[in-house]
Formats: sequence, C-alpha cells, structure tokens
Amino acid sequence: MRALALLALLTLPLLAQHGRYLSDSNNPAIGDPVAIAAGTKLFMGSCAGCHGPDGGGGARGPNLVRRSLWHPLSDDAIFQVVRKGVPGTDMPPTKLADDQTWNLVAFIHSLTGPASSNPVPGDPAAGKAVFWGAKAGCGNCHAIRGQGGSMGPDLSNVGGSRPLAVIREGIVEPAKDLYYLGNEAATVVLKNGQTLRGVAKNRSNYSIQLVDTTGILHLLQMNDVKSLTLSASTPMPTDFATRLSKVELRDLLAYLAAQDTRAAESKGSPQ
Amino acid sequence: MKLLLSLFLTLAASAQVRHEDVAKGPGTDWLTYAGSYNGWRYSPLSQINAATAKNIVPKWVYHVPGARGLRSSPLVYQGVLYITSGNSIHAVDARSGRLVWQYADPRAKEAGPNRGAAIWADKVYFTTSDNYLTALNRHTGAVIFSKKFADVEKGTTSTSAPVIAKGKVIGGSAGGDGGMRGFVMALSADTGAELWKAYTVPAKGEKGAETWGNLLEWGGGAAWLSGTYDPELNTLFWTTGNPWPDYNGSVRMGDNLYTCSLLALDLDTGKMKWYFQFTPHDTHDWDAQSWPILVDTEINGRPRKAVLHANRNGFFYALDRVTGEFLRATQLIDKITWAKGIDDKGRPLMLPNSEPTPQGNWVCPSVKGATNWMGQSYNPGTGLLYVLTLEQCGMYYRSSQEPQPMKNFSGGGATEEGGQVILRALDPKTGKRVWEYPMTGLGRMWTGTVSTAGNVLFSGDDDGHFVALDAKTGKNLWHFNIGETLGASPITYSVDGKQYVAIASASAVYSFGLFEPAVGVEAPVIQIK
Repeated sequence: MRALALLALLTLPLLAQHGRYLSDSNNPAIGDPVAIAAGTKLFMGSCAGCHGPDGGGGARGPNLVRRSLWHPLSDDAIFQVVRKGVPGTDMPPTKLADDQTWNLVAFIHSLTGPASSNPVPGDPAAGKAVFWGAKAGCGNCHAIRGQGGSMGPDLSNVGGSRPLAVIREGIVEPAKDLYYLGNEAATVVLKNGQTLRGVAKNRSNYSIQLVDTTGILHLLQMNDVKSLTLSASTPMPTDFATRLSKVELRDLLAYLAAQDTRAAESKGSPQ
Repeated sequence: MKLLLSLFLTLAASAQVRHEDVAKGPGTDWLTYAGSYNGWRYSPLSQINAATAKNIVPKWVYHVPGARGLRSSPLVYQGVLYITSGNSIHAVDARSGRLVWQYADPRAKEAGPNRGAAIWADKVYFTTSDNYLTALNRHTGAVIFSKKFADVEKGTTSTSAPVIAKGKVIGGSAGGDGGMRGFVMALSADTGAELWKAYTVPAKGEKGAETWGNLLEWGGGAAWLSGTYDPELNTLFWTTGNPWPDYNGSVRMGDNLYTCSLLALDLDTGKMKWYFQFTPHDTHDWDAQSWPILVDTEINGRPRKAVLHANRNGFFYALDRVTGEFLRATQLIDKITWAKGIDDKGRPLMLPNSEPTPQGNWVCPSVKGATNWMGQSYNPGTGLLYVLTLEQCGMYYRSSQEPQPMKNFSGGGATEEGGQVILRALDPKTGKRVWEYPMTGLGRMWTGTVSTAGNVLFSGDDDGHFVALDAKTGKNLWHFNIGETLGASPITYSVDGKQYVAIASASAVYSFGLFEPAVGVEAPVIQIK
C-alpha cells in the first residue's frame, strides 16, 4: 500500500503541472496584477467565507490551492463554475459581469500558479542566507542547481512548479500530507553485511532504488536485502514554524519562490 | 574485506562517463544515441545470439506517463535506463523497469517529440522542444542547469538527442518545414554556454548565398537528427534538412546550399571542412536526415575512410569522409522516377515531370522518402549495413501562395499512397543488396535497428512487432507483438551479466532478455520507525 501511494505521489506533481499549464487561458485578466487585485476584493467578499481567505478551504468549500494539484481545472472551466455554480452542492451561480468573473478567475489562477509568477513579499537575498545558513540548514538535504544535499527533493525549480501556499506548507507542516513519500528515509542492511542509508526513490516487494547519503544511487533486489528500516514520518524537521522568525520564513519563501528553471521568462510576465 | 568490497561498490557506482567511455562504443552500457560515435548501432554483446534468440521473453515494461508517440532511443549507464518523451526524461532501473526519478518541464512552449538523452560525467542531458538544454544529476534527477540556446519565436525547435564529444554538447535545430534558419551548435557540457554555432544556410553576402533567392533568412536546412563523429579526424558529420518552402522551388532558384546535405564540421570550431549536397534544389521534402555511417572499407578497389549514407531521395551513397569526395551511388529502392541516376560528380541526372505542380506530379519515392531517420545498423562481423527502406510513391503539389514564414506554410503538399517497408542488408563495398526482409503494414513506422556480435539483428516492423533476424541471412528468429506503431530504435545492454534488448513503443519502453525460471522473492525484515 505504501508502495502504491509512493508511486502515485511520484507521478502526481508532473500530472498536476501539465494540467495547469496546458489549461491557461489567453484572457488578458490572467496574470494581470490589476485584475488579480480586483479579483482579490471579490474573493474576500463572496468566496472566502467558504473557501478560506487564502483559498485554503473551509467547512463548506474545497481547498482551491491544493485541489488544483490533483484536480486541475482550466481557467475556462473555473470561469464556468463561477458563472453557473456546481449543481447539487453549496456552490451557487453568480451574476457577475464577464470582466468581473475573469478578475476572480485571475485571482484563483494566481493562487494556484507557480510562486515565481506572482508577486511575493520578502527579500530573496536574505532568504538565500537563511537557506544556506546553519539555523535552517536547508542546503544539507536539498539541492539548488547542483549545490546542496541529495536526501530531500531538488528545489531548483520549486518556485516554477509550486504555488507559494504549497511551498509554505511544505516548510511549516512537512508531515501534514504524504509529500515526503518518494523521498522515504531508509536504512538497508544487505545479506552481504553492507549497510546503506539514504532515501528510497522507489520501492516494491521486489526491488528498491536508493540514493545514499553521499548522493550515489544503488539499485537493489529485495532478495539481496536482509532488513529494511523506514522512517514512519518525513525526514524533514517539523519545527520550522518556531525555529525561524516570521521575517526569516518570509525571506526564505521569497528565495524559494524565485527558484525557477525558466526564471527569465517567468519574471515580469506572470503567465 | 568488507570494507574493501564496499569501497569498490562505491567507486564503481560513482564512476563518471568520460570521452573514452563513449568512444569505445557499447558494451554493458549504451552511452550515446547511436551507441557509438561512428553511428553503427552495433553491440559486441552475444549472449542473445542466433542460437538463443528463440528463448527471448519480455522482462519488463515502463509506461511513460502521457506518451503517445515516443521517438526516443534509450541510454543505459550502470544499470539505469534513461528515456525521454516530449519535455520530460525518466530514469528507470534497467533490470526491473521501476522508476528511479523523472523530470518534466511542462511550461515548454512546444510539445514536439524527443529522440533521446545524452550522458557525460555524472549528468544526463536532454533538450526541451523550445530549445532549453537541461542537465540533471544522473543519480537523483536534480537540476544542474537548464539553459536556453535558441528562440522558439524564430521558428527553431529541438527534437534530437544531443551527442557529447570532448565535453561539447552537439545539437541542432528542428523546424525547417515552417521557415527558419538551420544550425548545428556546440554547447559546454559543464554550463550549457554556447561554444559555436554553424548555420546551415549562408547569410547574405556569404559564400553559397548566390544559390538562393531572397528567402535566405528563412531557408530551412534544419539539423533535426543527431550526427556522427570521427575522433581521429576530429570531425562531426551532420545532415541537413530541406529548403523552405518545401514544395515551391520557384521562389528560391538555385541549389539552396547547404540544405539536403552532409556537412563535415570541425568539433572544436564548427568550421566546415567540406559539404556534399545529395539533392540540390530539393522540392520533395527529402531531408538528408538519415545516418552518416562511418566505415573503413574497400570501395571501387581502394581502401577508404568512407561515410555511407542511405538518402531519402532513393540513392545509397558512399563518400570519402576525409575529403568529401563522391565515390559511388546505387539504388536503395526499386522505383525512382525523378532521376535516372547519379553522375560521376554525385549530382542527380534529373528526369522530366517530377517537380510539384498545381495539378500534381506522381513521383517515387514519396515525401517520407526511401528511408528516413530510423536507426540503421552496421555490423562489422557480417560486414553489412541494415537499412529500413520504404517503397512508396505519391503526388506532389505546388501552391502559388506567397511564402509565409512560421505560418505552417510549406508551399504545397504531397500524398503517400500504399507502399511497403523492406528491411535491406547492403554491402558497403558494392552498394548492393545481400538480402531483404519485406514487411506487412501501411508504411507508417519510424522504428530502427540494432545488431550484435551474436549475429542477431533486432528491428521494429511496420506492423507493431519487434523482431529478431539472423544478421547474416535475414531469416526470422523471433517476433513479439507490441501492438503499437513503432517510432523508435532499439538498443541492447547488459546488467549483472545478463543481456537485454530495449525499445520504446508509442507509449512505453519494453525490455527483453533470455528466459530464466522465476525465483521467489522473500520479503526482508521491514521496520517502520
């Protein structure tokens, strides 16, 4: 079961990204800061009550940020949902004009768009120091463009592939969901006596693909494995909400939001 | 002893791919698109041979997420198989097909196919369809760099597998059917920075510009397939595509250099050493994209450093690869209607009524060509070159519309009617056929071949089968119905002393090996803490 979940989670971010980017609308409101600001006002007035002020979900409305990762809707589909509601649910139809509806769609899109394509508060240079400094120690496990550790997910494109809310959640509540699976901390004792420590990139009853603490990949057959110890939770420290100050966290997020393999294109032209 | 053993394992596992490793050609690994710099798609592995081929069974399948028409030929290094799809790359355990990591760039502005990856030091490389060279850590898939090398806005896209020689990543431009200016380039394997760019169509005022009209800057000549490399001559052999607009030659009178040509380029500088144009002033979309195979052999009674080239225009050429001298051309296919032969300088002897016209002209070969980019194999054991050929004709039409660059405009059109794919074994010494293997199907495949020291030739067929033939005789030894149109070329590799043969179908990678009785897997002690 864990193996199944692992595979599902490995493939999930890819599918999610495909869904989002291929579904972008050409409507000029998408990515337009003025439209997004107007949409923010509408959202706070009419939508936040159910969907939460940051779109993170509430008692009556689903999480619009995370939902986009597993059930991506095109901008045009969101437009239709806002316009017509979802029959049989609490989501009502609206009577907004086309341009107002598009402003709202632009805001919802910005919530779920890559962090690098939206304005982010904070100082990326200060955040860089936090990332590579001893207090946070992010670089011990995570790499950016070939620098850093290999135990945690590569963050070279984290700003280009994840909404800000999802990056924030990954830092302050890393154990909240199963994102760490696929980077499962594992210790393997082989029948030949050798012990390997690292992360299981993938695992089944028959084989395990393990990157050790020095960043070397080992392809192992289960018949060669004597025992396997897996971490029950994420290897990521869970105390960053208290370990870092609010300013440090904000700056760290600004630095991560800027990590984008297509930074030159993302900057200044949000979509 | 334990310490020594673990030290050895670590050293072996952290080995880096060096120039010498690629240059020596395939063994247990398969390190470059065609297997070796000379383009042979030949492996010295022989566990699967003409006698044991009857025991070939599928070992695993990896379904590439979202893939619908894979064109990619895998690489294998130290037990990991790397396969690309459009804007994504996947690393899988070459023994089990289990995913190790994958990387996708869904924001790419084009969604074209991709033909494969390259590997160098501890990095694997692939290009996005909108011209980013992306380098990833081969163990983890972590991004080392992703650097743009050309503007998709100028009609250039990228589909070919890079070839890396002496730390230079060699690639080229696709997109020649829509109007663009083709090039071959070298990028640094360490940083992705451009080292040189050699345009395949001259600029105004340059030598060769007189062979064009006014459409120079959109002239095409795409370099959309990997080429070959001779380390001794330090020369790259790269083919170029058709001139643009494809079917209307009246707006670009002249030979249209250096389209439909083979270019010999210096690896260090990109400087052209020589060129040979197979189809001057092409109007049939007969790109020169098929393999320039480097073979030292006797031709016309003299030992030669030759480059062999089965061209889309229907002829099989042999050139001297040191000088570019034309040595010989023979008929690759039976039915050629546009030229009655090739003269002693290498120029086609044209026949009338073969140009595209508003009413159309019936011409053989068809627009797809007598062969195409599918992987060919040269086997030094049999001394034969294996080429998938297509006997097909079609109507060619010309439009009188004004050329419109980057508007999907080709100046006319062409049909492909009927036809048959025939796998042919050619003797490089004479250019003549030694045997042939006709296939059933609709002439829709783009698959290729690999051959081995075990005297086995593997090939996709036109019917969705993967087949093994006796490399000496062409006799069928084994077949397996994959059941999808095949568009990629096979490779072979070995892990733990066991030989595998892998090929991508439209949507998945299949790996085959010899039958072995199953061994039950005992679960280890698993603790979750």
